[in-house]
Amino acid sequence: MEPPQREPGAAAAGDAEAGPAAKLDVLTLLRLREQMKQQLMECSATVHASEESYPDHIIEEKLIKTTTEDLEREMEEVKVSFQNKTLVLQRIQLMDALRNKVKQNDDDSRLILETMKHIIMLSTAILESQQQAREMEEKLNDIKKKRLLLKQAGGNKLLQIHTTMKKQKKELASMEVGEMLEKIRNNLQKEKEMTTLIQNIFQNIIIGSRVNWAEDPSLKAIVLQLEKNVSFL
Amino acid sequence: MAVVRPFDKLPALNSAAVLLVGSDESLQQKLAEAILKEKKNFKISIHLATSLPLPSERDHLRPRIDLIAFMIDIKSKYSLKNVEASLAHVDASFFLGKVCFLVTGVGRVNYCSVEMNAIWKLGEVYCSPVLYCELELEGIRVATAQRLLRMLQICAGHIPGVSALSFGLLMRNSADE
Repeated sequence: MEPPQREPGAAAAGDAEAGPAAKLDVLTLLRLREQMKQQLMECSATVHASEESYPDHIIEEKLIKTTTEDLEREMEEVKVSFQNKTLVLQRIQLMDALRNKVKQNDDDSRLILETMKHIIMLSTAILESQQQAREMEEKLNDIKKKRLLLKQAGGNKLLQIHTTMKKQKKELASMEVGEMLEKIRNNLQKEKEMTTLIQNIFQNIIIGSRVNWAEDPSLKAIVLQLEKNVSFL
Repeated sequence: MAVVRPFDKLPALNSAAVLLVGSDESLQQKLAEAILKEKKNFKISIHLATSLPLPSERDHLRPRIDLIAFMIDIKSKYSLKNVEASLAHVDASFFLGKVCFLVTGVGRVNYCSVEMNAIWKLGEVYCSPVLYCELELEGIRVATAQRLLRMLQICAGHIPGVSALSFGLLMRNSADE
């Protein structure tokens, strides 16, 4: 047994061994084996745990990134609002100073007052001019609108005229065709009548010549053909 | 060495190391002697420190620390502050059962200058058991030494089937009840 010793520095260490050197019998060896198994298990569990924590790190990094972005955006907003507020405050201060100066009612303040009046006059003039400009713009817009409407109406009329002309042409063409058809039909009628007449004459000639047309097969075919009415063809 | 880590060194065969951290050096000495007097069948090395971090120049000589016992004297506010400052230099994985708080001077609550609530909270926050004892008394000192020794055996992995973490959970459950 060694007594614990203090060492320089914040830490002190003492070592002591448990009794005499352990006898190396089977039981001790078995116990040592179990100890080492347990220690190995603990170490491997620790290694495993530290390996498993990597995805967590990635997620954490992402989280930190997004939070950083959010915070930066917030900071930007706060900065802008702060600037605006500073501006407003400065204006208020300026106004207050001016008001106090005006209240003093000396030469300087009179000058300021005159300048302010001048500014007001100019501002009203600007406002009036702007009003006029706006009215003129409105008029211009009206005129433009009217012109557009007229243009559209003209386009429509042109389209109508075009379609009417097309119709007329079509009608004209159809009328010409009709006349021709009428003529052809008349011709056909005449021819048909003539054919019928010739058929009848021919038939009467054959019958009148007292030939036995039934004996000759070609003559028989001709006579039978003459029986057909041409107008029904 | 800024942070003490429980698994950055290999364990030595059949041996265990305990680190006692506390501002009262004589009490540490007494407790260390009591632990050494106990009968045991493995090599034990006791390291005494008034505060953490440990100096880095002797780091290669130091074995793997298996258990850290923070000693708090309820008669001295400084001891609690000292422990709280030292806790920052302990790796988080140590708090998986390898840390315990030793509160001494419980027999003289009349002179108590530390809020017991703060100590109780310390154990809760760091997930570590709090042992109450009176190291000035011989019997209780021996009993405390035995308790520490048993815990050390578990923390060093000498007890098959019981790890420091499971033991810590067991202790915490009994404390909650």
